[in-house]
Parts: sequence; C-alpha cells; structure tokens
Amino acid sequence: MNRTATNSLGAASLLLMLAALFMIFLYVPSEAEQGIVQRIFYFHAPLAWVAFMAFGLVAISGIFYLWLGDSIWDDLGYAAAESGMVFCTLMLVSGSMWAKPIWGAWWTWDSRLTTTFVLWLMYGGYLMLRAMADDTPQVARFGAVVGIVAALDVPIVIVSVRLWRTIHPAVLVMRNGGHGLEDPRMLATLGVSMLAFTALFAWLLLLRFSELRARTRLAGLAQRLAMAQAAANDMPPGAARGIAEGAS
Amino acid sequence: MSDHLGYLFAAYTIIFVVIFLYVMFIWRRQKSLEAELRTLESRLAELSSRLTSHPSAPPE
Amino acid sequence: MGALAAMMRKDLRLELRSGRSTIALVALSLLIMVVLVFALGASATRRVDSAAGALWVALIFSGMLGATRALNSESENGCIRGLLLSPLDPAAIFVAKLGASFIFMAIAEAAAVLLAILFFNLDVGAGIARLAGVMLLGALGFAALATLLAAISERTRAGDLMLPLLAVPMFVPALIAGVKASSLTLSGAPPGAISQWIRILAAFDVLFVTAGYLLFEHVVGEDQD
Repeated sequence: MNRTATNSLGAASLLLMLAALFMIFLYVPSEAEQGIVQRIFYFHAPLAWVAFMAFGLVAISGIFYLWLGDSIWDDLGYAAAESGMVFCTLMLVSGSMWAKPIWGAWWTWDSRLTTTFVLWLMYGGYLMLRAMADDTPQVARFGAVVGIVAALDVPIVIVSVRLWRTIHPAVLVMRNGGHGLEDPRMLATLGVSMLAFTALFAWLLLLRFSELRARTRLAGLAQRLAMAQAAANDMPPGAARGIAEGAS
Repeated sequence: MSDHLGYLFAAYTIIFVVIFLYVMFIWRRQKSLEAELRTLESRLAELSSRLTSHPSAPPE
Repeated sequence: MGALAAMMRKDLRLELRSGRSTIALVALSLLIMVVLVFALGASATRRVDSAAGALWVALIFSGMLGATRALNSESENGCIRGLLLSPLDPAAIFVAKLGASFIFMAIAEAAAVLLAILFFNLDVGAGIARLAGVMLLGALGFAALATLLAAISERTRAGDLMLPLLAVPMFVPALIAGVKASSLTLSGAPPGAISQWIRILAAFDVLFVTAGYLLFEHVVGEDQD
C-alpha cells in the first residue's frame, strides 16, 4: 500500500487528536450538572460512531467479497472487524468510567451502552470464527455471511433495546450528553473529536489492511517459490529456470 | 467532584494505552512480515544462482 | 416444490422413526425449566415474567440442538455432497432444514409450555393460545438464524461452541421482544401494548428467513478455490 498515504493519514490523525485534546481540556466549558467527568463524552461518543461505522464496513466488504470473490475484500473486512473491536471495547470501557462517578454503578443498562454491548458480542463472534478456523476462501465466505447478517440485525437491536429501556424507567438511565449540548463550543469540540477518531480509525485500518494484503501476496509467492525449488531439484535446469523467473 | 478527575484521567489513559498497544501489535506483525520477505528473497537468489551455474542446458 | 417437500419429509421421517432426538430435545426443554425454577427460587414461580423468561431460555437451548440435528443428519454420512449435486437449489435446502428445525423446536416448546402452566400456575385459556403464537414466531426466527449459522459452525474447529457464540448475540432483539410479548400476554395486557413487540418479532423473522434463504448457498458449498 502507498507509504506516503499511510504516513500522511497517520500525521493527520495525530494533529486532529492533539487539536481535539486541546479543545476537550482547555477550550470547552464544563457541563453544569456532571462537572468535569462529562468530558469523557467527547471521546466516548466518537468511539461509538467509529465502532458502528466499522461494523458497516465489515458488512459491505462481506457483500463485495461474496459478489466479486477477490480476497482484497476479505482482508478489508477482517481489518475493519479487528480495528472496530478495539474502538467498540474502548467505547464500553469509557462508558463504564463515566457511569461510575455519575450513577455509582460500573454498568448501566442504558440503551446506547446495551446496544453497543450487543455489537461487541457480535464482533467477538466474528473474530472468534476467523481465529478458530483455517484461512481458506470458504472461511472467508463464512465471515462475510456473518458480517452481513449481523449488520442487518443492528437496526432491530437498536429499536428493541430502546423500547426495552423506555418501559423500565426504574433502572438506571444515563442521560447521554448528545441531547444536552447547549454551548456551541461543545458541538465544535465533539465535531473535531469525531474527525480525529475517524482519521485514527482510517489510519489503523489502512495499516492492518496493508499488512494483511502483503501477507496474502507473500503466501502466494512462497508457494510458487517452493514449487520452483522442487522443480529445480527434479527437472532439467532450463525448464526450472523458467519457473524460477516466473516466481520473481 | 475532584475525585471525578480520577475517572476522567483513567478513561483517557486507557484509551491511549489500548490504541498504542494495537499499533504495536500491527507494527510487530509488519516486522515479522518483512523478515519472511527477506527469507523469501534470499531463497530466490539462491535458487537463481544455482540455476545460472548450470549453463550446460540447451537453449529452449 | 416436490423436491423440497421430499427433503423435509425425509428429515422428519428419519427423526420420527428413531424418535431419539425428539425425545431428548423434549427432555432437555423440561430439564431447563426445572433448573430455572430452582435457580430463580420458589417466589419466582408466582411471577408471570419468570415463566416468560424460562420459556425463552428453553427455546434458545432447544433451538441450538434442533438446528444442529437437522444439519448433521447429512454430514454424518457425507451426504451433503450428494445433496448439492442434486438439482435442488441451496436456498430450497435451507427452507427444508428450516422447516425441520422449526418443527423440532415447536415440539420442544409445546412441552415446555405445558410444564410452565404446571410450575408457574398459569391460567389456561385464550392467553395460552396467544402465547403459543408468540413462541412460534420466536421459534421461526431462531430456527432461521440457527440453520444458517449451524452450517458455518459445523466447519470450524470449535464446532458446537461456535453456534451459540454467533447466534445468541444476534438473537437478542427477538429475545427482548419475545419475552416482553410473552410476559404481557400471560398477564392479560391489552393487545395494543403487545403489538409493538410482535412487530419487532415479525420483522426479525422476515429478516432472518430472507437472509438465510439468500445467503445459504455461500455457506454450504464445498471449498471452491
């Protein structure tokens, strides 16, 4: 993959992240009710956005893989699932860090947290499937199917969990700062943070994806080289040279 | 509310540590990939040198 | 259509003749109900939502076994290759498997409902009939999900463990909706309150039966490189 593209993306995400941090800690005012700990929100919400977007990417890659059969789509899907899982986990952990001081509990069955938790479980299933099976095109197809079906399930999860939570107001409900952003500076900070995390995700995705691509191509090359070596030991040198040249 | 600072700090620290660990994970895999590539290149060089040292084969 | 019916009949006949799996499945449902009663405590048996929850737990577990049964009846003798070589469309194979799984699940659920009436002192009447409808909707959704995923999990090293790992998270919305609908039905709530949950269950069923129908061919083929 293009080295300069990867590096510039990395640099861009670093700059955006620094800008976001500046805004989160030095620019945006504290929220009235929750105080300083509410600032977790400025990372927590973008993490959720990236986690869901990455999942969509897994599904879209799956569709293209089933349709076109080119392993490049499978590599993209796998990279997206892995990176997405990282961000999804961080969303849940930051949600917990936010819930404990505000609500006194490490976990609340808030509709957004619950939905993301189900997403996390689906990511886990996908990654375990890939980890516990061999690296064959058939398993890649399995991954694609699981990714597609799970992504189709997500809207239903969102609807059912939201309905579930509104019927149980007695259980702790965390007011997500998404509805309480009065100050325009808060919106600006959130926006920058969203951009920063999207760029960061894109960079990590690109890194992992290029590594997977290189590995796929390397495996193919190694195979041809092994065949050429076997040929060189058995066949007349002229024919073997032809194979070796094909392998380089 | 000053004790809440601890949670804020913890949240941000965990986020950056985990991202850093993932970058390290990718970087290590990249290094092993490059090592495999070098092995492959040396095997290829050895193979082609072995073939060119048998000039007795008739031209195709 | 004839081939489809023939295939379903084959699976069902195989099953009903030996009867082993069906009996085991029914027994498992019953035992799950028993475990839940002891786990939740005697006071739980007075509450209708415990009954609803227990029934859905039994549904999920019997569903996982029912799906693996329906799919494994072929793999044991390598007959799946024979099936694929037949002119039968893979999507049709999915429908047949789904039908067989669904029937197994329905039988197991019927047993569980009867036991729930006994253990939880449920009123037998129109409520039970409506409850049966809700459970069947749930069974259809889970059967579709499990039939599609069982084909995947069969081919991985983790085998049996993979199916619940994949199926349970995806089933969560139907579980939430199903338990709520069941609980409301049993406590005699007005249909207006129940219909929103039924809509979710129905949407889930449509989604997974369709997805399974369209995607099954990708899951059941041999390793084509």
